[in-house]
Amino acid sequence: MKSVNSFMLRALIGLVFLLVNIISIYMLLRGHNLPGGGFIGGLMTGMSFILLGLVRGWSELQRELPLPPLRMAAFGVLLAILSGLAPLLWGQAFLTQFNFHWTGLPLLGELHVGTPLLFDCGVFFLVGGITVKLVIVLARSTSGLPAFTPGETPYYASTLEGGIEETANEEGDAHAN
Amino acid sequence: MNSLIWPFLLPILTALACSLAFGLPGVGRRVFVALSAAAQFVLALFLAVRTFQGEGVPLVLNIGGWSASLGIVLVLDGLAAIMLCLATFISLICILFSYAETPVRFEQPLRLPLMQLLVAGINLTFLTGDLFNLFVAFEIMLVASYALLTLEANDQDIKEAFPYLAVNIFGSALFLSAAGLAYALFGTLNMAHIAVRAAEMGDAFSVKLVVVLLLVVFGIKAGIFPLYYWLPNSYPILSFSLGAFYSGLLTKVGVYVILRMLCTVFPHTLDGIYGMLSWLAGLTMLLAVLGALSRDFIRGILSFHIVSQIGYMVLAIAFFTPLAIAACIFYVIHHIIVKSSLYLIGGTGLFYNRSDSLARMGGLAAASPWLAALFLLQALSLAGIPPLSGFWGKYLIFATGLEGGRYWLVGAAVLASILTLISMLKIWLAAFWQPAPEGGVSKPTPPIRAMTVLAGVMTCVSLGIGFGAEPVFRLSRVAAESLMNQSQYQEAVFSRLGKEAGQ
Repeated sequence: MKSVNSFMLRALIGLVFLLVNIISIYMLLRGHNLPGGGFIGGLMTGMSFILLGLVRGWSELQRELPLPPLRMAAFGVLLAILSGLAPLLWGQAFLTQFNFHWTGLPLLGELHVGTPLLFDCGVFFLVGGITVKLVIVLARSTSGLPAFTPGETPYYASTLEGGIEETANEEGDAHAN
Repeated sequence: MNSLIWPFLLPILTALACSLAFGLPGVGRRVFVALSAAAQFVLALFLAVRTFQGEGVPLVLNIGGWSASLGIVLVLDGLAAIMLCLATFISLICILFSYAETPVRFEQPLRLPLMQLLVAGINLTFLTGDLFNLFVAFEIMLVASYALLTLEANDQDIKEAFPYLAVNIFGSALFLSAAGLAYALFGTLNMAHIAVRAAEMGDAFSVKLVVVLLLVVFGIKAGIFPLYYWLPNSYPILSFSLGAFYSGLLTKVGVYVILRMLCTVFPHTLDGIYGMLSWLAGLTMLLAVLGALSRDFIRGILSFHIVSQIGYMVLAIAFFTPLAIAACIFYVIHHIIVKSSLYLIGGTGLFYNRSDSLARMGGLAAASPWLAALFLLQALSLAGIPPLSGFWGKYLIFATGLEGGRYWLVGAAVLASILTLISMLKIWLAAFWQPAPEGGVSKPTPPIRAMTVLAGVMTCVSLGIGFGAEPVFRLSRVAAESLMNQSQYQEAVFSRLGKEAGQ
């Protein structure tokens, strides 16, 4: 998939990216008692990166990402688990929640700061990271590029393997049945 | 301390550490994962000892401090403790075997993290006391298993893996609808709470409908007769270390959940369903063992045997007396060890002969008498020759069957045993007894020796079960009694007492 060659889109995409992410973080923060939360926020942020990739091209997006998306997802799971484990230090059950109810905030009104928010942030990173990674892999392989960049390959494939696209037409029946 | 969550968290944290800290295969990562797997096994043993000290009274953990039926509970009773020990033991052995199987520089970087994720899903399945959480655990397990199945696959393998994926995704969708139906019907997804409500409803048709739906779902996972065709072709594409893990555990997770549902959750009066299950079990045994006879490579034969052996377990469940359930648990213990070790022995044979197709194998008995002895022991145990562990499992099942006057089914089971023996002899004659193929047999290298030792460890455990059948059966009996004792389970889940015992 080539990047879109439109001046308007290129000029505006930065603004759209910013707006989507502001709403996504708003969604993340209000999710304690209202519709929203880490999953939805993460999806929106993932979508914003996909928009960026559609307009600017996938290789450029991958160069500009601050962190490999899968690493971010793993970090998210770790954060969620750690927020669940923290209560164990005080002898409480796994995932027991500790909150500080912060009222009188602009826009949000109220915010529950505590372990559930940390857990939600973990979900946010996980969902965002996975979405971006999935779409990048799919987009790269539909545009004829190998699914992983040369730098990534050692993390995903053993040295014996070729890409599935290359080996697809070779004969390879190991069982001889 | 809340120890019940750790059998789930330890593998997840290990998988995360593998992807965050050591992303690339290396010796350090291998040592780390092996240590973690060993720690999981020790933890499972510790939990099992605690459970059986309490005569199988379930330990309960309320996650997040929310009490049962509002929150999610983890419950560890005798059966779950036994299964946890087996799962972590098999995972440890298979991980070590995979080290011997693949040199570090050729290792697939995602294999170890995914294996740990698979273990996490399996452990959560054993521990959970909530129908929806069970679904989540199944999904963790299945997603990891899909990825592992196709990790090193070529396009031929992907074709074989597709039915596995399609059938299991269908099963998951069905599970979700069944869980939704259960929620609509009972107003709760907590298993203990469902048990209370279902007992109140008695023989209502809707309860039976939910049971049948759930049995179809778990029948797909376990591989019962009309639903098993995805299994025998997809398992052979796995390498032997993963094959041992899959064949030992994944289908048995299905059996475990069927036991849990029929014994702990739903009323013990579903006679029509037990009757249906027993005939399906008989068909599963016979048809699958015929399939095994028709195959001519080791992984294919062993994969069909998984299905055939599932038949025995389901048959024991279908007899549905306390003794039969105990026999089923004993059989599961025996089967997990024997099946995995047969896979490991086959994997070692592959390295001697550079193929696992029977036509190209041979000379193993001369090349490695130890391996031949191990295979013979385990094959006879699988077929059920006394005094090996398989004999005791089958004997108990036959005895309860004869007691109940189910002569046809017992006859079918005996016939299936004989056919099992014949198909095992097929491997023995082709791979071990006949002269070596043209290319000769490889010299035993250090990895091959390590594999033989691992298979030997498994065989020793299996022999231990055979010769120590009495204590093992006593454990199964305690587990079966606490499994059938619904009021004890409910009390443990709903009371403070049970909660504190788990913390």
